[in-house]
Amino acid sequence: MSCALIVGEVRRGIFEERNLDTIGISSLLGKETCLLIPDNAYTISEKQVDTIIKVKTDEEAFLNPLNLVGIVEQAMNTYGKPDFVLFTHSSSGMESAAYLSGSFGLPLITDVSGYDKDTGAFYKSYYSDKIFGEFRCVGQAPYVLTVRSGSFKEFVAEKATSPKIEFIENVAVNTSRTFIEYVEEEKTEIDITKAEFLLSVGRGIGNKDEIPNYEELAGLLRAVLSGSRPVIDKMWLPKPRQVGTSGKTVKPKVYLAMGISGAFQHIAGMKDSDCIIAVNKDAGAPIFQYAHYGIVADMHKVRDKLKEMVKG
Amino acid sequence: MNILVFTKRVPATQEEELRILGDGKEVDLSKLPFKVNDWDNYAVEEAVRIAEKTGGTVTAISIGDAESDEVLRRAIAMGVKDGFLIEVEKVLQDPYARAMLAYNFLKKENIPFDTILTGVQSEDDQFASVGGILAALLKVPYSSMVIGIDNVENDHLILRRELEGGLQERVKVMLPSVLSIQSGINEPRYVSIMGVRKASKVERKVFKAKDYEESMSSLIEVVKWVYPLKKGGATMLSGELEEICKQILGIIKEKGVYQ
Repeated sequence: MSCALIVGEVRRGIFEERNLDTIGISSLLGKETCLLIPDNAYTISEKQVDTIIKVKTDEEAFLNPLNLVGIVEQAMNTYGKPDFVLFTHSSSGMESAAYLSGSFGLPLITDVSGYDKDTGAFYKSYYSDKIFGEFRCVGQAPYVLTVRSGSFKEFVAEKATSPKIEFIENVAVNTSRTFIEYVEEEKTEIDITKAEFLLSVGRGIGNKDEIPNYEELAGLLRAVLSGSRPVIDKMWLPKPRQVGTSGKTVKPKVYLAMGISGAFQHIAGMKDSDCIIAVNKDAGAPIFQYAHYGIVADMHKVRDKLKEMVKG
Repeated sequence: MNILVFTKRVPATQEEELRILGDGKEVDLSKLPFKVNDWDNYAVEEAVRIAEKTGGTVTAISIGDAESDEVLRRAIAMGVKDGFLIEVEKVLQDPYARAMLAYNFLKKENIPFDTILTGVQSEDDQFASVGGILAALLKVPYSSMVIGIDNVENDHLILRRELEGGLQERVKVMLPSVLSIQSGINEPRYVSIMGVRKASKVERKVFKAKDYEESMSSLIEVVKWVYPLKKGGATMLSGELEEICKQILGIIKEKGVYQ
């Protein structure tokens, strides 16, 4: 079949929104869309795909890369070899796409955020979005792609008919990796998703001793202090204060980003803020592409001046 | 436990402006400082911690040019026992080719391991794939985004993987295995320049990539390098610092979040 096989990402009964990007790129590629998901009652729009292959397994087993390779192989054997196998560029997608590529020797491009229909080139980020590579596959199809969230959902095209439903049964379960449980994040008093004004600090803050200075500024401005991944990794701020795909998605009225360069995982967590103000000393920082207002300056000098002015 | 950990030397591009040369054929990295890949730093630290707990040994492996010896010395200064450099003549853009090179090396040199650690991704190419492809080639289980190793047993590990939105999952992985380590799993230990100098006295072995090239053809290729497409872009505030800060306060007042 000349199609794109989409490995649907489902987690705790939810058909994740980032699947729209894999559906979107398959439309752009001009391929029939065949969606592979566990057999469960997920809420998906009826006419977004041509075929749904429901796999008789639970979602934790489905998302395990060791099982998924067998499931994709079974789908290919039953319904024919697709031109593409598409994953979301997520924790699960990155893992399974690489394992699939290695298992069958398939060309793999990850974190695809653009496609040129005329040249057939896929765009992929290098050096934290400062440069992009135009890639093409030279090995045998199917080509395996992981697709950046938010890059292609606008290309989802409604189909004329409802999808055909197929089933895969008797899935082999590999026991060399097994799911035990989900681990929830600890609950805290401050919920950054509810804040109207977030002051967020990133790698540019330099060291832990600076945190109280920014807490003070946040207090003076009546903002809540949050941070990007490097600050949370170093445990300078607690995990529930992390903005980004592995932390929280926030939409405050104002997002003041200081010393944050703008890795896409961070951008994905704050890009829908009403007003983004970014302070960074690197004029080429990707965050300036997403901010409404930008200031190229030393974040500490801006902090000190703001404090001085607010204190009067 | 025998642990192998892959570590890579990458350009430090955080605050650098990058230039594309010659019709998009090359990115100019000639004036950039280089460093150990951030995620690999966490992987090395985690490997050393496991070995300290279980009494095993850690070997660091780097695929790169001769300068990559620098990251091996750093890993040794952190507590790794040996360093192997697989020296390549040109950068391998395809993660499949890199993983196949690593696979051929491990097989041909008959390197024993219980687990292999890599960083989740490298800062330069951001493929996040070599660990997974290598695991599949070795036919061993794989886990990526590993943010915690809760239990180490003779035949298995209990670990936590980072998912999205603050959620994690706990999984049991049988050994041997390959794990890709997420940043934040630990606090990598401080390494002094003296420590790195001292590590220079520990022998590192150099292997030539051309001896391990079987089935290593690239499955993807770079056509050219391009700058990111300009999106909307910010209105840049300029002037004296006081004037800029006045504008910031004006904006947040206008948005009604500060009076």
